Amino acid sequence: MLSRTAEYLYWISRYMERAETTARLLDVGYRMSLFPNPSGYNNEWESVLSAAGAIEGYKNKYDTIEQKNVEDYLFFDESNPSSVYNCILNARNNALVVRTSFTPESWLAINKTYQEILNLKEKKFTKSDLPDLTEWTIEQVNLFRGSLNSLLRNDGYNFLFLGLFIERADNSARLLDVKYFVLLPKPQYVGGNIDNMQWSILLRSLSSFRAFRWAYDGNITATKIADFLVLNNNCPRSLSFCIQNIVKHLTNLTCSPAKVGRIYDNLKDLNTKIQEEKIETIVEYGLHQFVTQFIRKISSVDNEIHKEFFN
Amino acid sequence: MFNEMYQSESVIRKHYNNINDWLDQMTSKVILEKNAEAESHFRNIGITFSTNNETARERIIPFDLIPRIFTYTEWLRLERGVIQRAKALNAFLADIYNQGEIIKANIIPKEIIYKKKSFEPSMFGFSPPRDIYSPIIGIDLVRTGPNEYFVLEDNCRTPSGVSYMLENREIMMRMFPDLFHNNRVTPIDDYPTRLLQTLMSLAPIKCENPEPVCVLLTPGPLNSAYYEHSFLSDQMGIEMVESTDLFVEGKYLYMKTVDGPKRVDVVYRRIDDDFLDPLCFNPQSVIGIPGIMDVYRTGGVNICSAPGAGIADDKAIYIYVPEMIKFYLGEQPILDNVETWNCEKEQELKYVLDNINELVVKEVDGSGGYGMLIGPKSSKSSIDEFKTKLSTNPKGYIAQPLLDLSFSPTLIKNQVEGRRVDLRPFCLIGEQAQLSSGGLTRVAMNEGSFVVNSSQGGGVKDTWVLAE
Repeated sequence: MLSRTAEYLYWISRYMERAETTARLLDVGYRMSLFPNPSGYNNEWESVLSAAGAIEGYKNKYDTIEQKNVEDYLFFDESNPSSVYNCILNARNNALVVRTSFTPESWLAINKTYQEILNLKEKKFTKSDLPDLTEWTIEQVNLFRGSLNSLLRNDGYNFLFLGLFIERADNSARLLDVKYFVLLPKPQYVGGNIDNMQWSILLRSLSSFRAFRWAYDGNITATKIADFLVLNNNCPRSLSFCIQNIVKHLTNLTCSPAKVGRIYDNLKDLNTKIQEEKIETIVEYGLHQFVTQFIRKISSVDNEIHKEFFN
Repeated sequence: MFNEMYQSESVIRKHYNNINDWLDQMTSKVILEKNAEAESHFRNIGITFSTNNETARERIIPFDLIPRIFTYTEWLRLERGVIQRAKALNAFLADIYNQGEIIKANIIPKEIIYKKKSFEPSMFGFSPPRDIYSPIIGIDLVRTGPNEYFVLEDNCRTPSGVSYMLENREIMMRMFPDLFHNNRVTPIDDYPTRLLQTLMSLAPIKCENPEPVCVLLTPGPLNSAYYEHSFLSDQMGIEMVESTDLFVEGKYLYMKTVDGPKRVDVVYRRIDDDFLDPLCFNPQSVIGIPGIMDVYRTGGVNICSAPGAGIADDKAIYIYVPEMIKFYLGEQPILDNVETWNCEKEQELKYVLDNINELVVKEVDGSGGYGMLIGPKSSKSSIDEFKTKLSTNPKGYIAQPLLDLSFSPTLIKNQVEGRRVDLRPFCLIGEQAQLSSGGLTRVAMNEGSFVVNSSQGGGVKDTWVLAE
C-alpha cells in the first residue's frame, strides 16, 4: 500500500468521526439551551465552542455568542477547519484520491453525504432544523462506517480504524473535559440537579444514556459517569475502549513490524495504566489533569504514526 | 444527411427496430424518472469533469438514454480500419525515432517532424518493448453515409473517455435490463482486463517478475480526467500514483509504500511528457520523477505511452497517415482522412482564406472544441478575426471542409429529435492488437450544432455493437 494511501485512509475516518463529534456537540448545546440558564453558569454555547476547539476562530468572526451564529460556524462555516461541512469536504477530497482502496459503497456513502451537504448549505436552515442536521450527520457517518464492513481486513482497514479511534479518543476526552471543567466551574454545584441534568445530556449526546443505565445501577453520579466514559471497556466511546482498539489495529498491521513496535512501546504504559486504574484515584488526582495528559499522549501517538508510516 | 436510425422518414433501419418499440412504450414520466436516475448515479459515483470555466460545482456530462447502434458487419470494417491505423502510427514512431525510412523515401518532409515540439530528441535510437510507443490509441471518427466514415483525429498520447464508455453501459444495463435481454449487445466490461494485459505484455527488458507491477500515474485530483484515472486503476487492481509517490534509486523505479520501497515495472502515465522528468524535460516542473528517463532508457521501467509519442497525432502529421499505412503495411487505408489544408503552405493558405465561409478552421494545438471556427455557422466578425489570425500565424492552423455528421435520435425535452454524433473507439496494442467492442459516442445536444465536445454542451450515449 502506498504511504499516501494509508495517510488518506487514516484521515478520512478521522474527519468523519470529527464531523459526528461536532454535530453531537451542537446537540449538547441545543438541548442545554432549552433549559433555563441560571446565573453562575457559563453560556452553554461558549462551552460548546471551546469543546470543539473553535472558540478563538469564532471570536475572530463574531462579537457576541449567539445560537444562530454558533450553529452556522460549527456546521457550515468554511473558515472553521472543524465544521461539519469542512470535515465532510476533506473526507470526500481524500476519498476521491483513495477511492480505489476501499469499497465502492464507502465512496458512495461519502460522496452522497458531500452532495447532500452542498444542498443543505445552499438552503441554510432555520433554528428548529438543528436536531435534524445532527441526526442527518450521525446517519451519514453511520452509513460510512457500515460500508466498511465489507472491506478486506488488510492494512488499509487497520489504518482506517486507527484514524477512527485516535480521533474518538481525542474527542471523548475533550467532551469529558468540557463537562467537568468548562460547564461547571463552581464546586458547590457538583451533585446538584443542574449538574446531573448536564451529565445526562452529555450521555444522551454520546448516545450512551441507555447504555449507562444498563451498565450501572442506582443513581447517576459524576463518579459513575466518569468511570463509564474513562475506564469502562464495554462503552465504545470510553477512553480505555479507544486505547484498546488503537493497540489492536496497530498490532494487526502486517507492514513493517519494526515501526509498529516503536509506536507500541510508546503506547504500552498508557494502555496498562488505563486498564488497571480505579476511577476514585483519577478523580482524586484530578479528572481535568488526567484528561489533559491523555490528550497530549494521543497527539504524540498520532505524530509517531505520521512519522513512521506516512513519510 | 445520414440518420443512424431512420432510412427515410417512415422507414426504420432494421437494427433499430427494438429500440423504436422500446421508445414507443416509454411515457414522458418514465423518461423524466430515468433521466433523473442517470444524473444522480453519475453524480454519486463522481464521474464529473471540470472545464476551463471554473464553477463552484463539478459538472456532469448530459447522458442520452437512446443508445447508438452498430451492426456486426458495420463494426467489423471499423475494427479493421482502426487497428490498421493504430499499427501504422506505431510503425511511424518506431521509424522516425530510428532509421527515418519514410523521410528518406520523401513521403514526409523532415522539417515537419523534427521541428515539432511534440518530437522528443531524447528518444532517438531507443526502442521501447515490442517497438510499441503508443499502446492505447483513441481514434475520433464521424460518419456521413452508410459506408462513409472519416477519421477526424488520432489520439496517441493519453486518450480519455473510456470510463464514460464503460459507465454509460453500466447505467443502461441497470436502468433497462430488458433491453439487454432482447438485444444481443457485445459486452465491453472486459476492457480494463485487456488494458492490464496489454500493459503487462509491455514489461521492460530488465523486469524479471512474471507478473509485472503496473501503476497508473495521475497528475492528481484537479485533473479533469481524474475520475477516469481512479476508475481504471481500480478496475485493473493497480496503484494509482502521483509523481511524489515514485522515486528512482540505482537503475530502477520505486513507489513509496507502508512496507518500504516497491519496484515498478510499467507506468501507465496520464500526465504530459513535460511533467515526466524534470532532469530531462522541463527543469521548472515541480512535479515529475527525477531520473525516470534514465531508468526508462536503460530498460528498468516502461513508460506507456512513450515520451514523444505525441508527434504521431500532431495535426500536421495527420495529413500523412494514409501514406503511412501504404508505406509501412503495404495496405490500402480502410478509413478515410478528412481533406485537410495545411495553412503553413502558402497555396493552401490562400485557398483557405478564399473559401473560409465553407471551411472549419482549427488550431494545430487546440483541443476540446476551443479555438476553432465553423465557417458556415459563424458571423462575419468572427470570420474576419480568424482571417487575421491565419495571416499572422499560418503555421498554427489547419482547415477542413464542414462534414455532414450523422444524426442519431436523441431525447430532447422528452421528444425524440435528431442530433449530430461522433465516435471514439479505443484500440489496444501490446502482444496483440484489439479494439473495444464499442466506444464513446458524443452527441451535440444543441439543435443544429456540430460541436460534440463536453466543454461545449456535448453529451454522451451508450454505444452498442450487436453480436453476429
